[in-house]
Amino acid sequence: MKRGLITWDKAELPPSVFEARLVRARASLAKHDLPALLVYSDVWRSTEGRHLTNYMPYWNRSLIVIPGEQAPVLLCGLSPRVYPWIKSVTIFEEIRPASKLVPTLMQLCAERGWTKLGVLDLPRLPHEVFIPLEASSVEAFDVKLDLTDEAEIAMQRRAAKMAREILTVELPKGVGLTDYQFSGLLERAFRRAGAEDLVLLFSTGDSVPRPARGAMLDHQFSVAVALEYRGHWARVRQSLPL
Amino acid sequence: MLELMAERGWNSILLYGNAWRKDPFRSLVNFNFSGDHALARLSRSGEISVTFSDPWDAEITSGKLESDFVRAFAGGAPAIAGLEFTEERFVAACGKVPVSATADVEELRRVKTAEEIGCIQQACDLADRGYKRFVEVAEPGMREFELVAEVEAFLKANGAEDNFMLIASGGTEVVGMKPPTERKLQKGDSITTELTPQVNGYYAQICRTLVLGEPSEGQLKAFDIFFEAQNAAQDLIKPGITAADAARAQNDVFRKHGYGDYTGAKYTRVRGHCLGLYPDETPHILEDVDYVLKKDMVVIAHPNTYLPLSGYMVFGDTLLITETGNTRLNKTEKKLFTK
Repeated sequence: MKRGLITWDKAELPPSVFEARLVRARASLAKHDLPALLVYSDVWRSTEGRHLTNYMPYWNRSLIVIPGEQAPVLLCGLSPRVYPWIKSVTIFEEIRPASKLVPTLMQLCAERGWTKLGVLDLPRLPHEVFIPLEASSVEAFDVKLDLTDEAEIAMQRRAAKMAREILTVELPKGVGLTDYQFSGLLERAFRRAGAEDLVLLFSTGDSVPRPARGAMLDHQFSVAVALEYRGHWARVRQSLPL
Repeated sequence: MLELMAERGWNSILLYGNAWRKDPFRSLVNFNFSGDHALARLSRSGEISVTFSDPWDAEITSGKLESDFVRAFAGGAPAIAGLEFTEERFVAACGKVPVSATADVEELRRVKTAEEIGCIQQACDLADRGYKRFVEVAEPGMREFELVAEVEAFLKANGAEDNFMLIASGGTEVVGMKPPTERKLQKGDSITTELTPQVNGYYAQICRTLVLGEPSEGQLKAFDIFFEAQNAAQDLIKPGITAADAARAQNDVFRKHGYGDYTGAKYTRVRGHCLGLYPDETPHILEDVDYVLKKDMVVIAHPNTYLPLSGYMVFGDTLLITETGNTRLNKTEKKLFTK
């Protein structure tokens, strides 16, 4: 799960960025004569939903529905007790509890009179979501979207810069520590700087980078960091000596 | 697992893991892969083959690499553990749709071996030390995410592979836990946390509440109820009782004190759950779950919920079910922590 800072800095990613992304998604719907787009999101597969709405299901899973002409709706497996927080860090104004995702989606479709839906990357839906959707009265169409824009690239650059800067400062401190101890040091530095998630792999030259396992770090080692900063991932690898 | 396959008539079984749900894969091949996907195939003859989407995982294990992971499913199998969260394109590559082996494999996983219990005990010891660190570093003015960073650093420095952690701070306005925010801790705050470090694949959990400064009358009164409820479950849990019994024992304490309304889904999720290769294993401890608990299962009983007396409060320990009762694996004092 995510246990770093999940937030929405509107100076960094203004609401207009999300508005423009929704316009693009809706244009794709209009092109294919579809009334709404469905985006699956869970703690691991969050990039697409985050790009469109800034929503990150730190735990559990959800469906994001982007109607062609109305505000997006979140069908959420998380407790309604965290809805105020979700609304504070996303563009959502409407969140519906959905311990069972597809039945809740079907209810929404019935309310809105939708008989078909676009689904972002339909073949990548989890089997448990795909099967009841396929069996439903709503026809699902695979939709592809280009999720790259200037704001996205700028955030990825920021994540990569953060990773490089922290590694440059911290890497020399790893000498004489175990990879466990050094991963603790890096976790502290990255998470205090606002990292949302972090994957650290170490190599002392005897193998490809791998998770910490108690190996002693000498004067030559490398660290591969996958860093998530506000929904944007960067992978950076640095070696000592720098 | 081979006996299960014989019983079900499966000539092979696939165990799938992704970056969120590694547990089905790790229940057979306890390797902490760092890529997106991993798949183990077990044949009736006992032969195991593994395939990864990441070249580093493949190299470390001498497993097979499939950068287009659809190909890992070619040939199919009668059953998949983890089918529910397997991407449809992978399932489609199997040809004939496999059945789900998830529930069967989870049932096998529930009763732990001595080696697994050893890993969970190590994780419990680390959870205890992690909570000590949590109390040491929490102070007014610190932001929630900075506190989490300190605890995360401690756990990782001491060998945790991963950690499931929720947090909340504040007063009676706090209704649940979530990832950390930028909120600054204040004197009088109740700070709730679940720490769930993972050691050698296995998670253990501790839930405690810390009050910065002198606890209010409401916080003290609330804690007495949580203490009584958790003890009611701990006193009861043994082989033969149901998850529902363990939930009811906790909820009855809240009802006795006039807070029965706060034991439902509006204010809380579960009264506990099992622990193992996943931090929130089933069966959940809920009044409508009639699963009969068994020796060598590991559960946490935690009556965590919102009360108007205190705001959201948490309290719970990891319990190993023994022949006649249970053993508390956490050693942290059972009290409302203050600082």
